[in-house]
Amino acid sequence: MSLAARVRSEFVASWHSFLRRRTAVFFTFFFPAIIVVIFGALVQTQPTGGGLFAEPKEYYIAGYLAVVVLFTPLSRVGSTIARHREGSRFEKLATTPLSRAEWLLAHSLVNVVVIGLAALLLLALSALVTGASIPLTPATLAIVPFVALGVTLFCGLGAVIGSVADSQDGVIAASNAIALPLLFLSETFVTPDLLPAWFVPALNLSPLTYFARGVRALTYSGGDWVTNLAVLAALAVAFFAAGTVAIPRTD
Amino acid sequence: MDEVLAADGLRKSYGDVEALSGVSLSVAEGEVFGLIGPNGAGKTTLVRALTGTTAVDSGSAAILGRDPTEVDRQRLGVLPQEFRPAGRLTARELVAYYAGLYDDARDPDAVLDEVGLADAADTWYENLSGGQQRRACIALTLVNDPDVLFLDEPTTGIDPAGRRSLWGLVEGLAAGGTTVFLTSHSMEEIERLADRVGLLNAGELVTVGRPDDLVTEYGGESRLVVRTDGDADADAALESVSLPAALDATVSGDDITVHGVGPRDIGDVVAAFDDAGVVYESLVWKQPGLEEVYLSLTGEQFEAARPAAAAAVGGDR
Repeated sequence: MSLAARVRSEFVASWHSFLRRRTAVFFTFFFPAIIVVIFGALVQTQPTGGGLFAEPKEYYIAGYLAVVVLFTPLSRVGSTIARHREGSRFEKLATTPLSRAEWLLAHSLVNVVVIGLAALLLLALSALVTGASIPLTPATLAIVPFVALGVTLFCGLGAVIGSVADSQDGVIAASNAIALPLLFLSETFVTPDLLPAWFVPALNLSPLTYFARGVRALTYSGGDWVTNLAVLAALAVAFFAAGTVAIPRTD
Repeated sequence: MDEVLAADGLRKSYGDVEALSGVSLSVAEGEVFGLIGPNGAGKTTLVRALTGTTAVDSGSAAILGRDPTEVDRQRLGVLPQEFRPAGRLTARELVAYYAGLYDDARDPDAVLDEVGLADAADTWYENLSGGQQRRACIALTLVNDPDVLFLDEPTTGIDPAGRRSLWGLVEGLAAGGTTVFLTSHSMEEIERLADRVGLLNAGELVTVGRPDDLVTEYGGESRLVVRTDGDADADAALESVSLPAALDATVSGDDITVHGVGPRDIGDVVAAFDDAGVVYESLVWKQPGLEEVYLSLTGEQFEAARPAAAAAVGGDR
C-alpha cells in the first residue's frame, strides 16, 4: 500500500512537471505528427517501386509507433535523471523511503501515459493522412501492452544513459547516437531485404525489432505477435532492472 | 542521553583531495550540533557520509544505531546544500509530493505555515524568491516530522527576518527532542542554535565543544578599539595614554586596540584616553565569539584582522 502511495506521489509530481513545460508537451505530440506528415504524406509509400518506402502504407505503422516509443522515453528519462542529479534531488530522495525502482516505475508510468496518448494521435493521423486501414479486432488491443512494455524498456535504457552521461547535453547526444541506429536497424522503416544478408541476424539484437515485428503482426501482416510480446516483456524487465541499478544513489 | 549520530574514523577522498581525514564524532539525542569550517573543508562530505549518500573509503557512521543506508527513512530529514526541487510545482505541491513518500506525514499546509510560506503556497517554486525557495526546501524536509534532521547551510539566501524565524523553528524542534545536525557559515546562527560545535578544517575535525567553552579556549580576549581622529598620530596618541595596569594596546592605522578590556575596564580605559586629550571618532568594544574561534583555528583572515605591521605598545603580544 505504501509502495503504491509513493509511486503515485512521484507520478503526480512528474506528471504536473511535464504538463507545465509547454515546449516539451508541444514537441512531444508534434513529433509523431510531423513523422506521419513527412513519411506518410510527403514521401509516401511506393508499393510498385524499390528502395525505401516500397511497402504498403500499413507496413510502416509499426515504424511510426516505434519512433515515439524509442525516442521520447530515452531522452525524457535520461534528461530527467541529469536534471535530478544537478539539483541534488537523488541525494534527497536517497534519504526518503522512495526506492530507485519505485522512482523509475513512476517515471515509466508517466511516459506510458504520455506516449500512449502520442501513439493514439499517431494512429489517428496515420489513418487520416495516409489512408492506412488498421484492423480493429480484440487482438488490436495488444498494441497497448506493446507500447507499455516498449516504453518501460526504453525508460530503463534512458535511466542508464542519464546515469552515465555527465550532463543534459551528454544525455541528448548519447540518446541520439543510440536511438538513430536502433530506429533504422529494427525492421521499422528499412526492410530486412534492403540490408546485407550477413547483417540481418543482427536485427535480432535490437529490442525495438520485437516491438516492430509484434505491432506489425497486429496492424498489418498478421501472424505471431505473442512471441514478440513475450521477448519484449523479458527485455523490458531486464532494462528496467538495469536502469534501477544505474540510477544514482550516492554522489 | 542516547547517542543518535556517530562517526568513527571517516575517511573520504575525491582523487588526490582528501575530503575527510579520519573524522570521529558523536551527537546525542535532542542535541543541536553545529558544524563550521571554511569552504571546501569537507562539511558537505561529512553530512553525506552521515546520511549514507556517499560511500566512505574507510571508517563507519551510524544513525540511531544503524548504518545510514539501513536506517528507517521515516525518522530522517535531510536538506542537501545545493538542493533544487522541480521548478514548476507549487510550494504546496512540492511539500505534498514529499509527504506522499512517507507512511506518516504532516499536513503540507501546516508545514508551509510553520516556515512562513502560507501566502506563497500556490506559487511555482521557480517563481519564489531565493529565501522563499530555501524555506520551501526546509518545509519539505520537515514534512515527515523527523527525529534526526540534517540541515546543510539552511539559511543561505534568506533575509534576516526569515533567518530568525527559521532559527525559532529549529529551536522549537530541538526543544521537542529532534536531533539536529546543522552546517553553516553564519557564526551567529551556530552560536544561537548549537549546543555543541565542531570545526572542520581541511577534512579534519579540529575541535568540538560547547560554544562558550570554545570561545573561552580559543577566542582570545575582549578588546576596545579606539578610532582616532584621522589628523592625529595614533602612535603618538597611544604614547600619551596611561592605560590601567595589565592592559596593553596595538596600533593599526587610525585604530588603537586595547587588549584584554573586560566590561568593567571600559570606563577606566575611556577615562585614560580622555585624560590624555586624545580625540577619537568612535569606540567599539568587541567580545570574542565563535568567529574569533573560527579565525584562530583556521588561520583565515586572522593576520588581516591584526596586521603584522601593527606596532605593539605596553608589552609583548
